[in-house]
Amino acid sequence: MISLTINEKEVTLDKPVTVLEAAKQAGIKIPTLCHHDLLKPWSGCRLCVVEVERMPRLQTACTLMAADGMVIKTESEAISNVRRGILEFLLINHPLDCPYCDKAGECELQDLVNKYGPTVGRYKEEKRKVPESHKDQIIARNTERCVMCTRCVRMCNDVQGASAISIIGRGNHSRMEPFSSESFDCEYCGNCLTVCPVGAILSRLYIHSFRPWQVDKEVGTICSYCGVGCSLVVQVRDDSIKRVIPKLGFGLNKGLLCSRGRFGYEYVNSPDRLKTPLVRKNGKLEESTWSEALSIIADKLTEIKGTSGGSAIAGIASPRCSNEDNYVLQKFMRVTCGSNNIDSLSRTGFAAAQKYFEDLLGQGITANIIDGIKNSEVVLVIGGDPTAVNPILGLSIREAARRGASIIVLGHAKGLEKFKTVQVVPPLFKEAEVLEALLVELFRAKGVRAELPFIDKEMRELSEKAAEKMDLPGFDELMKALLNSASTSIVLGMDLIQRTNGHRSLFGVAGITYLLEARLYLLSERPNEQGLIDAGCVPDMLPGGRPMNIPDFKSKFEAAWNGPIPDDDGLTLFEIIEGIKNRNIKALYVMGENPVFNLPGGPFLKDIFGNLDLLVVQDIFLTETAEIADVVLPALGWAEKSGTYTNLERRIQLQKQAVKTSRGMEDWRILSEISGRMGQKMGYLETDDIMREMAKVSPLYADLTYDEIGKGDCLWPYHGKPLRGEMNEVPPVVDAEKDYKADFYLAPEKLLFHSGTLSRKSPALMKICPEPTLKMSAASAGKLGLKEGDRVQFSTTAGSSEAPVSIDESIKDNRVFLSNNFQGSGVMDLLSFSIDEVTKAFGIEGCEVEIKKHGIKA
Amino acid sequence: MFGETVLKEIDEIRVKYPDRRSALLPSLYIAQREFGWLSQEAMQCVAKALNLSESIVRGTASFYSMFKHKPVGRHLIQLCTNVSCMILGAERLVDFLGNKYGLQPDGTTEDGRLSLVVMECIGACGTAPAMLINTDFYDNLSEKRIEEILEKYK
Amino acid sequence: MENFLLRNIENPNSADINEYLKVGGYKNLTKSLGMKPKDIIEEVKKSGLRGRGGAGFPAAMKWNFATADPKFPKYLLCNADEGEPGTFKDRPILEKNPHLLIEGMVISGYALGSEYGYIYLRGEYPQAKDILNEAIKQAYEKKYLGDDILGKGVKFHLSVYQGAGAYICGEETALIESIEGKKGQPRSKPPFPVNVGAWSMPTIVNNVETLSNVPYIMEIGGDAYSNIGSKDCPGPKLFSVSGYVEKPGVYELPMGISLRDIIYKHAGGIKDSKKLKAVIPGGISTPVLPADGIDCAMDFVSMPKAGSMLGSGAVIVLDESVCMVRVAYRALKFFEHESCGKCVPCREGTDWLRKILERIENGKGSEGDIYLLSDVAGLISGRTFCPLGDGAAGVVTGMIKHFRNEFEEHIKNKKCVVS
Repeated sequence: MISLTINEKEVTLDKPVTVLEAAKQAGIKIPTLCHHDLLKPWSGCRLCVVEVERMPRLQTACTLMAADGMVIKTESEAISNVRRGILEFLLINHPLDCPYCDKAGECELQDLVNKYGPTVGRYKEEKRKVPESHKDQIIARNTERCVMCTRCVRMCNDVQGASAISIIGRGNHSRMEPFSSESFDCEYCGNCLTVCPVGAILSRLYIHSFRPWQVDKEVGTICSYCGVGCSLVVQVRDDSIKRVIPKLGFGLNKGLLCSRGRFGYEYVNSPDRLKTPLVRKNGKLEESTWSEALSIIADKLTEIKGTSGGSAIAGIASPRCSNEDNYVLQKFMRVTCGSNNIDSLSRTGFAAAQKYFEDLLGQGITANIIDGIKNSEVVLVIGGDPTAVNPILGLSIREAARRGASIIVLGHAKGLEKFKTVQVVPPLFKEAEVLEALLVELFRAKGVRAELPFIDKEMRELSEKAAEKMDLPGFDELMKALLNSASTSIVLGMDLIQRTNGHRSLFGVAGITYLLEARLYLLSERPNEQGLIDAGCVPDMLPGGRPMNIPDFKSKFEAAWNGPIPDDDGLTLFEIIEGIKNRNIKALYVMGENPVFNLPGGPFLKDIFGNLDLLVVQDIFLTETAEIADVVLPALGWAEKSGTYTNLERRIQLQKQAVKTSRGMEDWRILSEISGRMGQKMGYLETDDIMREMAKVSPLYADLTYDEIGKGDCLWPYHGKPLRGEMNEVPPVVDAEKDYKADFYLAPEKLLFHSGTLSRKSPALMKICPEPTLKMSAASAGKLGLKEGDRVQFSTTAGSSEAPVSIDESIKDNRVFLSNNFQGSGVMDLLSFSIDEVTKAFGIEGCEVEIKKHGIKA
Repeated sequence: MFGETVLKEIDEIRVKYPDRRSALLPSLYIAQREFGWLSQEAMQCVAKALNLSESIVRGTASFYSMFKHKPVGRHLIQLCTNVSCMILGAERLVDFLGNKYGLQPDGTTEDGRLSLVVMECIGACGTAPAMLINTDFYDNLSEKRIEEILEKYK
Repeated sequence: MENFLLRNIENPNSADINEYLKVGGYKNLTKSLGMKPKDIIEEVKKSGLRGRGGAGFPAAMKWNFATADPKFPKYLLCNADEGEPGTFKDRPILEKNPHLLIEGMVISGYALGSEYGYIYLRGEYPQAKDILNEAIKQAYEKKYLGDDILGKGVKFHLSVYQGAGAYICGEETALIESIEGKKGQPRSKPPFPVNVGAWSMPTIVNNVETLSNVPYIMEIGGDAYSNIGSKDCPGPKLFSVSGYVEKPGVYELPMGISLRDIIYKHAGGIKDSKKLKAVIPGGISTPVLPADGIDCAMDFVSMPKAGSMLGSGAVIVLDESVCMVRVAYRALKFFEHESCGKCVPCREGTDWLRKILERIENGKGSEGDIYLLSDVAGLISGRTFCPLGDGAAGVVTGMIKHFRNEFEEHIKNKKCVVS
């Protein structure tokens, strides 16, 4: 316990903090310009000076640790004199352009001068003149206004880890600049915008468009992009989103954002948004009315249910939609349509892995707090770049590196290039072998853990089978790091799961997790991949992870839902597709998803979807799937509706409505309307009604309320007790003895700046990253005689495309990577695939690709 | 890009320190030697060799006055003008270089032969005024002596 | 007093290890390795040795802080960033007596439990770099450096780190930042380098001259050493004398010698028998003393009482031909150039002071400018992150205090009235 006196107020602290922090806790604000809560103390501006009894000089509160018995004054004439002096110094070069400056009204310098003066300046010589830089499309840089607090640079270096900007020069002649002096070419997190106290760094998305005091309302909500679910604030004026800013110290992101979260909001107002329902007439989609469109769907579904049975209907849920939306969809499928054929594209990654791990290691095994990563001794990154897929989670890995953790990358991760300790590059498509070899070595060193006998047995068998230790550069270092680590985090991306034998890798990861008692994190590309599982949008489980095959559970739900649920487990995603191909499935209901674009083999899917009697798509844009639908329904998107989302940590959070629009309808309301027309009234008026029902029927959500969720710390297992699942056998391993001898293989890449459907309609993100590139290693480029930016044509057995080349130093093998975000040039169309019989995800390894420089004939 | 020999030289420096970033200043000296000055390309080479961000490399380099951020002539004159040298005539020598050779502080002669940087103290106050030409040291300077010395630097 | 630090430097080959051995070099190392580390520190403590870099902190106290910290490895950094204008005292050691420094560092490293030493050498001394590297090579060959020094199982490795032109790197935490490959901007203290220094480990930063005194202490013993020079800060001290004296140069004299004696007895008095006007006694960051203020003892304790500081012992002698406004202007130009930019008062204040001095020197000053100078100096003084800003403010304040009339004359006559 530390007790001290600040401004005659007794302050008691339970842990040592700086005087600045102590004062803050006591509600006393000490002025600062260089200090920021997200950053380490800098002590450059000298504004935070305070008087401390028995200390000769004034002390800077940001660096002075509060000590027992200190008597401190934060305001006095002497202190005001210092502050006035500092501000006079700062105004020497600061232009007095407040009437023109966008920061006016929320400028920290302006506020301080207002409080402490000076009223006139005595400096007579010329001010520093630097023209404002508009060389960057997103960030406007005005170094004349800069007060050299270095917050932006420290944010970029010490927190974001992008190190894209620095102070160039020394002393009075220095200025903040990106490396190129012009465009930032950075991760565009915009966290420098958050910390700039003056108008030196501003977003070009909103400059000259409004003043801070003109904001009508601020809505605290969560981001719509990835599975992290960052808290943010939407500022609204005239019912349009003016700006997205973080809320300092709040949410799991604590005031940090990524490019998508901060700059990717403009899609909400995109002119391409769907405005009215569309109905296919004479082969063409035509504008229609809600009443016509809903009736067509209800009638058709009723007809199919009547003639072919409920099992001829399938639904695809959406990880972009809320828990409420997904809950209503599965209920609609199960009760109204009489079908358990409900799955989602998460089956291709997150849901597949989540199920595998929970079956093997127990429910909640992936429910780990992101913030905990930074305290790990070892972070093992497998199958994807966390800094691109889940950028804020990626920052925790970078922070772990700064704290001395070993960061081990199996495969490659560009965003960790400067943070990794070791990179282990498995032989092409042999990741499972490497993981198994690693598991065997760990098992031999650690012995039997004897908690889950079944895994112990499997590992023993594996180790008996395994011959020599794997000879791979970095493997020993990796082993040593893992064996010496007292706390290990494993971060698993989806790339490894999307293999014909992806489950083998999953077993390896599960075993390592088990042996090391590691924390396991699954990267999640979409905001509600976990939520849709919990809401019951999987064929074999009811809401709350209740297995379908336990009659007790089923009957409880039937009672609550007022209708029978079919007995059989439903079909998984690719079984549904198979069903469509075989014409067993006659109606497909797609909510907020774009399977034709997001799954491999798009042309094939487009073709077989023609077999359907009814294809319904509800979305906010006319996606590739919507284009071939029979009925298209305009839904509401992020910021237009409220609902809960469950992030990859299994934290339930509230997304709130910020703007009103008459364009569409909430997904759940559409479903509820159709259900009513099919004779099964759902009776929901608002989302609260759905939440109340979920809290009643789902043991996961037991007694949860929006009020409680709104506090932001609703983490699994909430109120309910976890169900321990168990797996009794690991499915047999099919050895894929294939050699990969081609020159190049094509693989999908996840981009930091894009997510697909939403991001490609966000002008800012399209400016940052306007087109796909074909990423390859320097060696591959050398082999092809290519340099950065050269355009190439490339083709696979499935199709061909073209793009400029981009060289990525982190890639160490002969794979080339293409993203799946841009209209008309997604990688998925070029990939052939097979299905992993265990996880039911697709396998897309070994896709040979031929690459030619543009214009050169073979 | 740096050749094998230079990369090896940098690697040998790297191992002397517990952290790779410590090799930054020595590597910048090497880059300056190889490129003549720290062009963007030179700094990119250093960044790559040490796996540091380009911006960190540039920011750090720009802090130190002995790293050159624009091309310099074949011979670099670094003339001290701090107090001990100033009171003994260093400023006159700066004027002399301007008049006689057309060489201004921070400038380079048109023929690319000489560049001049006006320095802070170079630790030769007892034999002021003094200068460095490249890494050669000269003191007790006068106009005449400078003229003679520069004959050696063509 | 016989020279120790500058022993044998007249010998043109003094930097060669064989010449150093001929005059008894490395015998103090042999002797020290026969002692317990803590006994060496005890000798240093008895000697009363204070750091020669400028602050005059008791060396043994710093060492004890570092050895008390349980973390290893510990690093011993030699501050050879001799950047204080007017100072050139470390240079003869670095260039002519490098083995003395190496011997001092090995003994110190052994005493401190440090196995890694680095000499942070200013970029402006390229010759010294070559000489030191050669000397280090020789010392490795003769087993005075390496994994098993003199077969005693003692390990100490040493290399040179070349600075790149930043005065601030003479400040120990800035030096540490710089050797870590960063900008030389000072760090907040605490934590002090003795606990969290280079690469976050306990680090001892000592000046060239400080470390070069260690073999001497081991040679004559702490008690004998403590009887040299001033009682409070004993030992030999190197003084760099420059400006208008007959015999400028580096002098090894007992600490506490009077400034007058340095100038008149040793440096031969004022050049061409001109009149003395002022003396900057300890390098440019120390306040100027007027001609009648030079009867003071040159040590860390006495100089503040005389209105200035010992600093690095760099005596700059100014005669009647020198314009004090110009000296102040040049000094401020230096400070402004070298300000690291971290804190506002130093970064903005030194630039402002320079501009005011420039206009006064150029005859464009106005009446309120002297007050403005004092006031701006006051806005800097005591408010900066590190002492650089204090130094700059002190120069201006000192100049106005002793030579106010010269400033007034410049303003009145609208031109420089001296030169």
